Amino acid sequence: MKKKIWITLLLLLMGSGVILAGIQRLLIPKYMGQVVEGAFIHEYYQEDTPHDVLFLGDCEVYENISPVTLWREYGITSYIRGSAQQLIAQSYYLLEDTLRYETPKAVVFNVSAMQQYEQENETYNRMTMDGMKWSSSKWNAIRATAMEDEHMIEYIFPLLRFHSRFKELEADDLTYYFSPGKVSHNGYYMRADVRPAGDFPTERRRADYSFDPRAWEYLERMRLLCEEKGITLVLMKAPSLYPTWYEQWDSQIAAYAQEKGLVYINGISRIEDIGIDFSQDTYDGGLHMNVYGAEKLSRYFGSILQEIPGVEDRRNDKALAAVWEEKGQFYDTKKAEQEAEFAELGYISQFYSGE
Amino acid sequence: MLLVSYEFAAFLILLLAVYYLVPVRFRWMLLLAASYLFYLTGGMFYVLYPLITTVTTWFLARRIGAVTRESKAYIKAQGMDREQKKEYNRQVKKRQCRLMQLGLVLNFGILAVLKYANFVLENMGILLGAAGIEGVVPSVGWILPLGISYYTFQSMGYLIDVYYRKYEPEENLAKFALFVSFFPQVTAGPISRFDQLKEQLFAPHEWDFCQVKRGAERMLWGYFKKLVIADRIGPAVAMIIIDPGTYDGIYVFLGMVGYTIWMYADFAGGIDIVIGAAQMFGIRLPENFDRPFFSKSLGEFWRRWHMSLMLWLREYIFFPVSMSRFTRRMSELVQKHFGKKAGMKVPVYVGSIVVWLTAGIWHGASWRFVAWGMANCIVMLISQELVGCYRAYHKKFAFTNHPRYRYFEIVRTFLLFACLEMFEYYSFKNVFVMFGNLVTTASLSQLWDGRFVQLGLDAADCGIAAFGILLMFVVSLSQRSGSVREKLERYSLPVQYAAFFGMFLIVLVAGVYGHGYDASQFVYNQF
Repeated sequence: MKKKIWITLLLLLMGSGVILAGIQRLLIPKYMGQVVEGAFIHEYYQEDTPHDVLFLGDCEVYENISPVTLWREYGITSYIRGSAQQLIAQSYYLLEDTLRYETPKAVVFNVSAMQQYEQENETYNRMTMDGMKWSSSKWNAIRATAMEDEHMIEYIFPLLRFHSRFKELEADDLTYYFSPGKVSHNGYYMRADVRPAGDFPTERRRADYSFDPRAWEYLERMRLLCEEKGITLVLMKAPSLYPTWYEQWDSQIAAYAQEKGLVYINGISRIEDIGIDFSQDTYDGGLHMNVYGAEKLSRYFGSILQEIPGVEDRRNDKALAAVWEEKGQFYDTKKAEQEAEFAELGYISQFYSGE
Repeated sequence: MLLVSYEFAAFLILLLAVYYLVPVRFRWMLLLAASYLFYLTGGMFYVLYPLITTVTTWFLARRIGAVTRESKAYIKAQGMDREQKKEYNRQVKKRQCRLMQLGLVLNFGILAVLKYANFVLENMGILLGAAGIEGVVPSVGWILPLGISYYTFQSMGYLIDVYYRKYEPEENLAKFALFVSFFPQVTAGPISRFDQLKEQLFAPHEWDFCQVKRGAERMLWGYFKKLVIADRIGPAVAMIIIDPGTYDGIYVFLGMVGYTIWMYADFAGGIDIVIGAAQMFGIRLPENFDRPFFSKSLGEFWRRWHMSLMLWLREYIFFPVSMSRFTRRMSELVQKHFGKKAGMKVPVYVGSIVVWLTAGIWHGASWRFVAWGMANCIVMLISQELVGCYRAYHKKFAFTNHPRYRYFEIVRTFLLFACLEMFEYYSFKNVFVMFGNLVTTASLSQLWDGRFVQLGLDAADCGIAAFGILLMFVVSLSQRSGSVREKLERYSLPVQYAAFFGMFLIVLVAGVYGHGYDASQFVYNQF
């Protein structure tokens, strides 16, 4: 009798687990609509071919580098593990996480994340860390970067965080219930609309230009990890007009790179060489590049990357070429769709908030 | 540590596991350690004050007990006659009274200073300001220890009981410390008596699945009231009551009813969590609510709402004050000038005024609460004076015996209580102004004039709140014929589990908590 009760209880508990998992799956954001950045990190796990170059960083990476262009122009296989406002600590743990699956030849880290060590908006943390598969890296990333009012338990059981979304459920939540759609191009966020750069607030002097010591610590850890795995670490600062990348910051990074024997490329000083035209190559008034700017930067950057030992032209690898052909088609289709829509409407409906 | 926090859930689960793993004789010690750990999570200061109350009360109660024992032995040894014994006992009682008074002054003094210093200073400032002296009275920012009113009242009740020789003082300081600090109840009560709780706290509690299950069910029900109802309607109610300029007319009524339901769901929800948590450890705490919204008069309501505080006030304030020498003298004086009938009423009047004044001050350091207490007192005393009229009215009109008339009485009591609550959140003058406004300008169309939308409750919130309140009402109705949990146990395990899991899902999904949630403390935590 007692045994029967325990079996019944066990079955009921298992059933409850399934129901809870089902509800959780329904309520967590799918990031398939206007905001797609939250889907990038998890998409990486769908990859089944290795990459020679791994890009790490925030929007200055996932909106400015086109891996398809790198492949087409140089035969470089690459992936971007970047998300909105991705902190340096998160980039470090994403590198750790990536090394569990593959060992790229080069890691490119965009140093703009050095200027802000702590997160200001919980949404960005969720977009980065919810997408990571569970591992010690994810655990440590959460511990290192969770905001004061964030709890580990809400990452373990996202239902606790997103339970109130039952009021905001959309068709996407059912459409992508079982499997999420693909929104990025190897981590690249494509935008084919154009909004020329406007005016930006005047540059303000700061009292202190030093980076947070913890940011330095993670940069050093990243360097040591790359060194240990035989990976070339490249530091980059994407070309941008705003927010300001101060000379004082630049010189600190340059000094560090020189001391450690790293390559540091500041895209701001090479805007002309790259050929960026901020009246055409940005979709949001100069904050981020559109696909045309990203393709220009990728063409320029690829020529530097191909010099790194181990980063080879893989276009002769038939299996890889087939995979990248498919990626290229998806890329071209999406680009054409966006271009057509922008030509017709003057905006891209998926990303248009009506404001 | 808040009762609504992941930390509390983890603390409780871990403690529960360890509790039933350690040998039975150590279990109460574990609860003591856990209770102090619970306090420590708030900071060192949180421990200091309950510790002072514990040690002083325990010591003084022991002294009172020792004096009793010594005096008995002395009387026996001396072979005193009746008169000598009487005189000696009078001296002993006087000594014991001084010990009790010392404890009362010290501990109520701590409570008064920590909780009411700013109130006194603020009023001193106003008085001095009126006299042209400004800016000389500072304000203080002292930390108010968690549940200071609860443990002070509970400890002082114990001291008074020992003084009146209702039971023997506890010899073991650690055991007494657990009585004062038992972690579930320090946050929101109930205020228990030592003789009630002693056996519960120190009895060897074996693992009992049924108790743990019932405790968990009770907690879940508490979380439902708190997270699904109280915290959902709380912000909207707050907007209405803090901005009478905007929210007038029908919103005054909405505020009254909303505030009453919010307070009940919050406080009773907190008590359910407390009682449920204690039950999981095999400890049955006294109830604090007995379906108060089914009361047919305000007097009955106050016997069914915050029962432990009202009982405390009756036993330790009303009776001693009514029977005090001062009241007796006043009664004699009134009797002499206004007749026997009037004189007989003096103890009730004096006792009631002091009780309601204390209740008001206990609820908050503000004149609003004093006004609230006095308003309740006036209504209660008027009701008492009109008892004869009521009887005549009920005798004359047969319809008053009809069950529908009972419903009318229930609704009337609810509305009367809700009206009196206005003294808690409006200024004294505004209570009358807003009530007048309600009576003269309220119209249902005001609900659609755009102000309701600003309250931040969307259709889903309104639907969930309405469902929650309805469920709370149905459960209360069902409780008339016994415990709902016990009724549920008549069904098969899967049915019981489905009910529990369904409620769990409702709290989990529809509860207001998590990121962005103001981890709002329970309204009765601040005491």
